[in-house]
Amino acid sequence: MAHLSLQNLTVDFPIYGANSRSLKRRLVSHATGGRIAEGTDDAVVVRALDDVSIEIKDGDRIGLVGHNGAGKSTFLRTVAGIYKPTAGSITITGEVGTLIDPAAGMDPEATGIENIYLRGYVLGMDKGQIADLIDEIADFTELGDFLDLPVKTYSAGMFSRLGFAVSTAIKPDILLIDEGIGAGDAAFQERAAERIEELKRNVRILVVASHDNSLLESLGCRPILFSAGKIVDDGRGGVG
Amino acid sequence: MSKTTVEGQSDGPNVANSSRASDSNDRTIRISADNVRQMGDADLWLGLKRHNLWWSSAVHETKQRFRRSMIGPFWLTLSMGIFIGALGFVMTRLFGQDPAWFVPYLATGIIFWTLLTSIINEAGTAFVSAEGYIRNVPMPISVHYYRMIARNLIIWLHNMVIYVLVYLIFSHDVNWAYLAFIPGFILFLAIAVVGGLCVAVLSTRYRDIPQVIASVLQVIFFITPIFWSVQTFPDRPAFIFWNPVYHLLEIVRAPLLGAWPEPLSWLVSLGLLAVSIPLALYLYRRAYPRIPYWA
Repeated sequence: MAHLSLQNLTVDFPIYGANSRSLKRRLVSHATGGRIAEGTDDAVVVRALDDVSIEIKDGDRIGLVGHNGAGKSTFLRTVAGIYKPTAGSITITGEVGTLIDPAAGMDPEATGIENIYLRGYVLGMDKGQIADLIDEIADFTELGDFLDLPVKTYSAGMFSRLGFAVSTAIKPDILLIDEGIGAGDAAFQERAAERIEELKRNVRILVVASHDNSLLESLGCRPILFSAGKIVDDGRGGVG
Repeated sequence: MSKTTVEGQSDGPNVANSSRASDSNDRTIRISADNVRQMGDADLWLGLKRHNLWWSSAVHETKQRFRRSMIGPFWLTLSMGIFIGALGFVMTRLFGQDPAWFVPYLATGIIFWTLLTSIINEAGTAFVSAEGYIRNVPMPISVHYYRMIARNLIIWLHNMVIYVLVYLIFSHDVNWAYLAFIPGFILFLAIAVVGGLCVAVLSTRYRDIPQVIASVLQVIFFITPIFWSVQTFPDRPAFIFWNPVYHLLEIVRAPLLGAWPEPLSWLVSLGLLAVSIPLALYLYRRAYPRIPYWA
């Protein structure tokens, strides 16, 4: 059983200016008794998620919608355990996999094969598991002998195919997807869509952040509308 | 919201394996504003366990740096060898030091000084330079720190070639004191890793720290017996006696030169470790939930 439970979850970002992060500011503020420097050391705080409570159950397919900066990506990163709550809590049952930045961990100077290993380790696989994947990835990306060349010689489309292929090799219980996944020419787009479809069938909870309503519809996602860090419409007519 | 237990610990939180988790090993973790700090301790341990990841990326980074060069990472060995050779030549000629004693002393001192200072210096950027990973990939944050340590250990191994050559040319004696290198090195490395972690946390928050440390280390290089020796000063000035870096170097340098380190050097080093462990844990616990925002 996979389950996600967010209770009164709040995430604040401290935003430091170039000045407030320096040690001098800190020292100066002490030297001046903190009076003059008051308010300059205290970073501006942006409340990215504001008192969000939601239960996401096994089998749920969720689409996060809302304007830029509404809190969709912060929501994904908090569920992934990257950002930590400032208040409230999140309880996660099941393994979490992310498709937030499919290229993270890849090195343009290294060959395709080396990159499959680098990316595989980042995703938590061991050497044997990655070795087993290589043929399948070669097949899926149709990169063939290019896998032995440095990735910097690839076209942008080839590069993103590789990142996509390795990143989607995971089989988590809970899959978090940030928009802008899948790339390449039309033929590859189709296969990428198939792959996403297959992932969707296998995962128990899918959470997709996207501006693309047709994508969310095709994945059968129930839209949850975010605005200013709050859930304003949970897709069931209720307000969270 | 008052529960403070981390229920089930896992890679911050769960990293999906390529094999599907069955219902039996479904783990539940709870991250709340109250328990994020305790998770810092777990992160240090979970990061260590991802040795596959940090070791292979450290090896990769080292290879990558010297890709297509003729002698690869041995450029590190060569450039340090040239430095030691030149300084050794100057000091033996100008100050009449005996090369058979001075060159091994200098080589060993420089090799371990370099290991220590590169860990401390690079600690300052360990988290900041991994910003892209930290914000986009769920994995223990400490992995980025261990990767930096592993990279410096690989470089150190290459530099040890110089020690072996110098040993064969100048010393080649054998006695029990050489064995004292093993516990000495473990302690030396532990202090470097733990002290570096303090620097890493502080530098991520305060961006002046790496610059301050780089300048301070330059000064320490001159006031620590590395290219000169305490034997030159029969009555030791206080800045040697109280210089912890001197004692730290001695626990690895003396054994490699076939001598037992003074008990005082071991005491000072153990004291350093005893102070730095709680400090590092305290700082990491406090900083852990905030590193993704700071980096």
